[in-house]
Amino acid sequence: MDISDILQSLGSRPAERDPFAEDLGDPFAADRGQQSGQADLQALTRTWVNERGAAELLPWPRDGLIERATNRIKQQIELVEQMTGDMDPKTNFSLIIIQTEVERWKFLIRSYLRARIAKIHKHTLHYLSTPALLERLSETEVAYATRHQQLLHNHYLSSFLGSFPQNLQNLNDTAGGISMITGPDEDGGVFVRGLGSRDIGGEGTITVRGRGRDGDGEVEVERGEVVVARWSDVRDLVEKGEMELV
Amino acid sequence: MALPLQAGLTPMEVAFLCEMEMVTVVPRQRLERLNLLSGPTPALRPPHRAPLPLWLALLLKRQRRANILPPPWLLPSSLERILKHETETSPLAFSPPPPHPHPITARISPTDHISPPFLPSSTAEAPPDYLPYHWLELGEILLEAASDDVPEPDRVRGLLRDLREVRMSKMRGSVKVLEGEGGGVSKMTGVGAMEVAEGRGFILGVLDGLRRLGSSREVARREREEEEGGGEGSEDEAMGFE
Amino acid sequence: MSYYDIDAILTDNQKVPCTFNLTLPHLGYLDSAPGRPLPSGTKVDLPLWLAERLAVSQLTPQTSLITLDLPPSLSPRVMNALKADPKSVDLRSLAANFYGLAERILDLFEEEEVCDVLLESWRVRASEGVEFLRGLSEEERVLFRSAHDSSKAMRVWMGEMKKR
Repeated sequence: MDISDILQSLGSRPAERDPFAEDLGDPFAADRGQQSGQADLQALTRTWVNERGAAELLPWPRDGLIERATNRIKQQIELVEQMTGDMDPKTNFSLIIIQTEVERWKFLIRSYLRARIAKIHKHTLHYLSTPALLERLSETEVAYATRHQQLLHNHYLSSFLGSFPQNLQNLNDTAGGISMITGPDEDGGVFVRGLGSRDIGGEGTITVRGRGRDGDGEVEVERGEVVVARWSDVRDLVEKGEMELV
Repeated sequence: MALPLQAGLTPMEVAFLCEMEMVTVVPRQRLERLNLLSGPTPALRPPHRAPLPLWLALLLKRQRRANILPPPWLLPSSLERILKHETETSPLAFSPPPPHPHPITARISPTDHISPPFLPSSTAEAPPDYLPYHWLELGEILLEAASDDVPEPDRVRGLLRDLREVRMSKMRGSVKVLEGEGGGVSKMTGVGAMEVAEGRGFILGVLDGLRRLGSSREVARREREEEEGGGEGSEDEAMGFE
Repeated sequence: MSYYDIDAILTDNQKVPCTFNLTLPHLGYLDSAPGRPLPSGTKVDLPLWLAERLAVSQLTPQTSLITLDLPPSLSPRVMNALKADPKSVDLRSLAANFYGLAERILDLFEEEEVCDVLLESWRVRASEGVEFLRGLSEEERVLFRSAHDSSKAMRVWMGEMKKR
């Protein structure tokens, strides 16, 4: 398959809802009653640390976490704007507290999104050319990645690729047993903490099946214990929420 | 705009995370309940203690609206005990982390998968004998912003430095036994957040080098085992025919 | 191996000793005899990427185009020196990307002992730290730079905090 085909097929997908569009409505109003702000903060924090710790792009949270958090921030900012009219010094200090917290939430979301964009930048074609990986991106990220790759490809074409013979213009060649499309190192090491397994009678102990040089083996990881392991050996446990990156 | 950072939290980000830890404050002024994004804060009434996230406690402290009660493990006597454990009782491994305050039971609970910074390991009620995950940064932050609330701050500062040195050399020394256990998984039980931030590049770099040098051996071993496994399978089949 | 990885490309450019198993017309210039054929049995140093291709090209079902030898940087002499004292060896003068080359060579030769010696050398030299900065291979430089950067980031945080 040619890259322009990939890009075209992506471009022709029906435009779905942009979660960060101004006109948001509130598709998660029902969820919000159940998810407390504290639970969202904890989930957001874990999602951020996991994303910052993994070399590969992790699945975009499909439970509306980011959209919910963004909405909460928006409402809080509106509240702050209402309160600013009141210049009572006591309210003023409360405002500082509320604003400080809003800034902290904004930092979490911004850093999370930027960490994801950095990974998409680094291996754009890797994510765009594999349907299973593409599913990890949010709608906006798919749009971003597609556009980014188009720009890059056009830039390459006009600056040097265009003067190459046709058969040397590919960016997704696999000649010589080396693919031009590179991805993150899935066997790279990570620091990871046991959160707890629900296996019966295990006191929450998690069994990590590690692949080593001289032998494969199982290591029992207690809740709260930090171990160093290959990402590919703990990825499923992190996605199941039984472990987290640190 | 993409984040130009390596994988893993930087010291700055670790400190940000640490500021979500709960600490105990003693308010010097009243403050009404505030509806924050992460939930309501308790109404502050001097001199009643209240739990608050560290970032908020620091905000109050800097404005002299509250004092922060240092966690029991940050007292000189506790740190001395822990240092003794680090040097004498277990000269190779880190001292153990605090036990999880919410045991797993048959009933699924939201506390089952809670981890630092959301465990109450640095409030006034925290256990005195364990260094929590954010020990280093929490200690340094309190010494910087609230040294008048910490008993014997100079001694505490010295003890934190000693602990840091002892533990950093354990971290570096761990590369000698890295991959020692089953399947290339190495335990770092008791390691702290800043220590991970500081040691990550080195530890993972050493591990990566070992993996690369050993990769062809590993592939060959797995192929061999698969062949042997396949051999067993055919034996079973042969027995089935008998 | 990664397509755009410059270290991998540099590693592949390092030379390994090869022996041709056939006479090649017009290629004498490879052995400083331009215009003449290159006789079978000639030893020539070729970059790894080329040598690997030729080594897997079959001349007859029993022989390949060339026979590969261990590069001098992984010779028994070097292995013995590393076994005696891993710190004493100037890896950089042997090969800039010493470990990268070794990794590729171990892919081609099943050299269990070389593998053991190298694993141990990498581990010991790493845990010795930056005290002996001379003679570090490129991989070791990268490792120590990353260790240096993270402890610097730590000191910066400590300093920034005190400024508040």
